[in-house]
Amino acid sequence: MKALREAAEKLLREKRVSLVIGYEGRKGRPAFFAAKPEDCGRLAYDASCRQNLAAYLGKPEIRARLPVALVAPPAVLRSIVVMSAESQVAPGQVLALAVDGDSYLGTFDAAGAAELLRAKYSTLAPEPALLERVQGLLQKSPAERAAFWEAEFSKCTRCYACRAACPGCYCSRCIVEKNAPQWISTAALGHGNYTWNVMRAFHQSGRCTLCGACEAACPQGLPLMLLNAALDREALEEFGSRPGYDPEAKPLIGSWSADDDHSYMR
Amino acid sequence: MMKTETSTAPAPAAFEPRITAFVCNWCTYAGADLAGTSRLQYASNMRIIKLPCTGRIDPLFVLKAFENGADAVLVSGCHPGDCHYTSGNYHARRRWTLFRKLLALTGIGDDRLFFSWVSAAEGQKFADLVNDVTAKVRKAGPFRAAHPGRRAS
Repeated sequence: MKALREAAEKLLREKRVSLVIGYEGRKGRPAFFAAKPEDCGRLAYDASCRQNLAAYLGKPEIRARLPVALVAPPAVLRSIVVMSAESQVAPGQVLALAVDGDSYLGTFDAAGAAELLRAKYSTLAPEPALLERVQGLLQKSPAERAAFWEAEFSKCTRCYACRAACPGCYCSRCIVEKNAPQWISTAALGHGNYTWNVMRAFHQSGRCTLCGACEAACPQGLPLMLLNAALDREALEEFGSRPGYDPEAKPLIGSWSADDDHSYMR
Repeated sequence: MMKTETSTAPAPAAFEPRITAFVCNWCTYAGADLAGTSRLQYASNMRIIKLPCTGRIDPLFVLKAFENGADAVLVSGCHPGDCHYTSGNYHARRRWTLFRKLLALTGIGDDRLFFSWVSAAEGQKFADLVNDVTAKVRKAGPFRAAHPGRRAS
């Protein structure tokens, strides 16, 4: 981690960025914001760092301090590329301090991150155990599936930690906060919980990088990654969508092809 | 003294599905209109909501319909290539392809969520579609019975 600390310190000393966002060596690995070169000695990274730091790029407090650098494992690199493709970060405004396990891989902008991903991580996919759980769920009857999700969603307290943790959820006004008309009930009950969790997942379709930050942030332990992984596989199989590998990519939903499948249409 | 009681409670009615249809203004609504002006008889379980284009149909509309008592939802618009706004139905199609899979994962399958292309000339297709969808939903039963955990909020 010495290499990571030195790279972060160098960026700050050379004033290439005004802030380095990383993880601190303390228990729980909270996010750490290094604004001065001498702060960088506190940076640490290991597999327990589940928070996706790219989520901060949507926050106005951080946007006011661009350019910034992020400590970024592969899934976070993908998030930076997705945000770049969606014009949420301008070229050169975000630098990624790429890490993987114990190794520091270098400093990259969005285009460089995409290149690194294509070269070294072209086959990132949901965990096999996760896909098995999705398959297991799909083999159950619709009634059993409904019962499974109703039990899970009933735990939701609508704290929106999943949204806050997600780099894809950068809308300044979320659909769940719109109340004229109110599309999603804010009461933590059946319909509202179902609609919120399903729509949150759907709004990430073709954009989710499967970083797992939403599920890790959920205080109620909802299996949100089942929804994300199922959508990810569907988007890949139907449309060949692999978000986060091309900073010029068009959004999956928002573009179309005349050849898209419609065998389910009557 | 004798007390006579008359029961006024009606016999429990057979399940009549309520089906919400989101249709586009230019093709399916005109098709439904043709079915009507052609005096075609079809099931009266469908409640039609007309929108400018299938591209305007947010997946939230579907969930809201279920929340407000629909037993099934039909989404119908122009055939590919026929969209009044050139590409609205193509945009919609891509959205539905993913959304229906997400709903299937949560237990709402293709006996409650239907998609179709019906042109302005296809009055007969529309009438047949409504009859067929109604029969399927009648079999599937009430939505609320299948999703007891969905307490109205």
